[in-house]
Amino acid sequence: MLRAVSLLVITLITLPVMAEAPEGYPFQSFDKAMQQARTDNKPLFVYFGRYGCGYCDKTNKEAFSDNSIKETYTRHYVLAYVDSESGKRLRLPSGERITEREVGTRYNAFVTPVFTFMMPDGQPLLRLVGVQRIEDLREADMKVQQTLTKASKK
Amino acid sequence: MIPYSMWSGGLLLTAFALNVQAQPWEFGEPIEITPTSGEGIFHHLESAGRRNIAVSGLTVAVAWEDNRDGTPRIYLAHKDPNAKGFSAEVKISGNGEAYEPTLVALEHNRFVLAWEEDGRIHVRLVTSTGLGPVVILEDNMAMQASLATHDQQLLLVYSRQEGRYGRIWLQRLAVDDLTLRPGQRCPVDAETVKEDQLYPTAVSLGKGVIVAWEDRRAGHTIIMAAQTTDAEPCRFTAPQRISERPPGPSMPYGKGHGVARVALASYGTNRALAAWADKRDFREGYDIYAAEYQAGKQGLFGPNGKVQDTFGGFAQQWHTTVAGHPSGKLVVAWDDNRDGNADIMLSWRGADGWSDDLAVPGATGGGEQNHPAIQLDKEGNLHIAWLERATIGGPTRLRYMFGKAVQ
Repeated sequence: MLRAVSLLVITLITLPVMAEAPEGYPFQSFDKAMQQARTDNKPLFVYFGRYGCGYCDKTNKEAFSDNSIKETYTRHYVLAYVDSESGKRLRLPSGERITEREVGTRYNAFVTPVFTFMMPDGQPLLRLVGVQRIEDLREADMKVQQTLTKASKK
Repeated sequence: MIPYSMWSGGLLLTAFALNVQAQPWEFGEPIEITPTSGEGIFHHLESAGRRNIAVSGLTVAVAWEDNRDGTPRIYLAHKDPNAKGFSAEVKISGNGEAYEPTLVALEHNRFVLAWEEDGRIHVRLVTSTGLGPVVILEDNMAMQASLATHDQQLLLVYSRQEGRYGRIWLQRLAVDDLTLRPGQRCPVDAETVKEDQLYPTAVSLGKGVIVAWEDRRAGHTIIMAAQTTDAEPCRFTAPQRISERPPGPSMPYGKGHGVARVALASYGTNRALAAWADKRDFREGYDIYAAEYQAGKQGLFGPNGKVQDTFGGFAQQWHTTVAGHPSGKLVVAWDDNRDGNADIMLSWRGADGWSDDLAVPGATGGGEQNHPAIQLDKEGNLHIAWLERATIGGPTRLRYMFGKAVQ
């Protein structure tokens, strides 16, 4: 019992600060997600949030709580979460050292949440700004998948 | 009768001329601090409080981090008053990964740098004749250093990881020839930390010191400050919130709006300004807000005001920095993208409040110009350093410009 409690405490202490990422999704840091997207040749879905963000909270509760969204997004994309006010250091595949806040600046996450679908090299495909509903996320996924299918046939 | 177009054109020209005349600085040509070093080499001009430039006498120095040898290290370059360009850079940090150098000037062409290296704060004195020994502070898991001077002492504030959260500490240092001697050290907030305290910066004000930082205790990021006096140098007032909660009903979701990266400067007699990026108008992204220190009042800082002009509302503002002068001169700089790409902008405090924003000539145009650091020297001249890159994600270089005081 004591060991289990100790393990829980250690886990809580060492958990990365993912303040606003929805629960139950395999969100990773942006640099790790980019690496994985390159390895798996999958597009990225990048969630730009911030600590205490109200519209992130609303989207998490009203859209990301849906199991079909969770299943689809986890299958189709490598998921990245960026705290747009965090100074956490990342290293991009180009070798550039950058903070999460600067990733937010680069991708113009001037409001939160912003959701950007990206190619594995970081090229944006589609951007959603503000609160999203379940149907918004479904429609965006369809658009992105259609774009990728078209591109693969060329 | 004068046609309307001529009249309005004339009015515009007059307004433009007045605006040009009203500028407190006459800018020279930008020069290079350090050139691009090729693909994969990136410079970073960043520190808590954005104190990467300092002026001692007429010598200006700039401190930054880059990875030219494959590891992030700290470098310093200086420019003597009669030199056309900056000196070759000097490596300041040791063998570890080093980040976020902060710089402060002492008298007689001396500078002190502090930076994070392998999880500890390192400090070093630099003079015109050489480098002092590196002093490594005791605290581990320490980062985000910011330096200031106070009387004959150095003040160093930083965030130290304690459990899950960062906590702000103040370390005093004495300068003894080439050696820096750590003195009294204390937490700025005496209470046990329950949420992150990050990116502190400090300013000396008469017989006291003000420290400001980002704080997440409210469930979202806010700017807070505390003050201490020379009589009780390790006893701070209870932290007070500087960034105000905007009026209106609370949102059913979330805790509040975002703010980021406070900068502090003293100016005039016993006055200080805090400035930061603030997203209270969430549709506009971050705007530059500021608050004035209120000597002798219950609230450490007064009401918040927007620094940027109306046109800035159509763009996003980043990387706030502020500089002040004993004459009362006060200037805030940042970068924003109102012209389609990142440019350096500034606004100065006049008799009627903040000036219209000025796109700094030589620090605008194609590519990206961002991450400004500014300083006013004893004559009120403005020194600006910034980061420049031709393409997003491309190699970087550092630039500098001198603004000669004209008022």
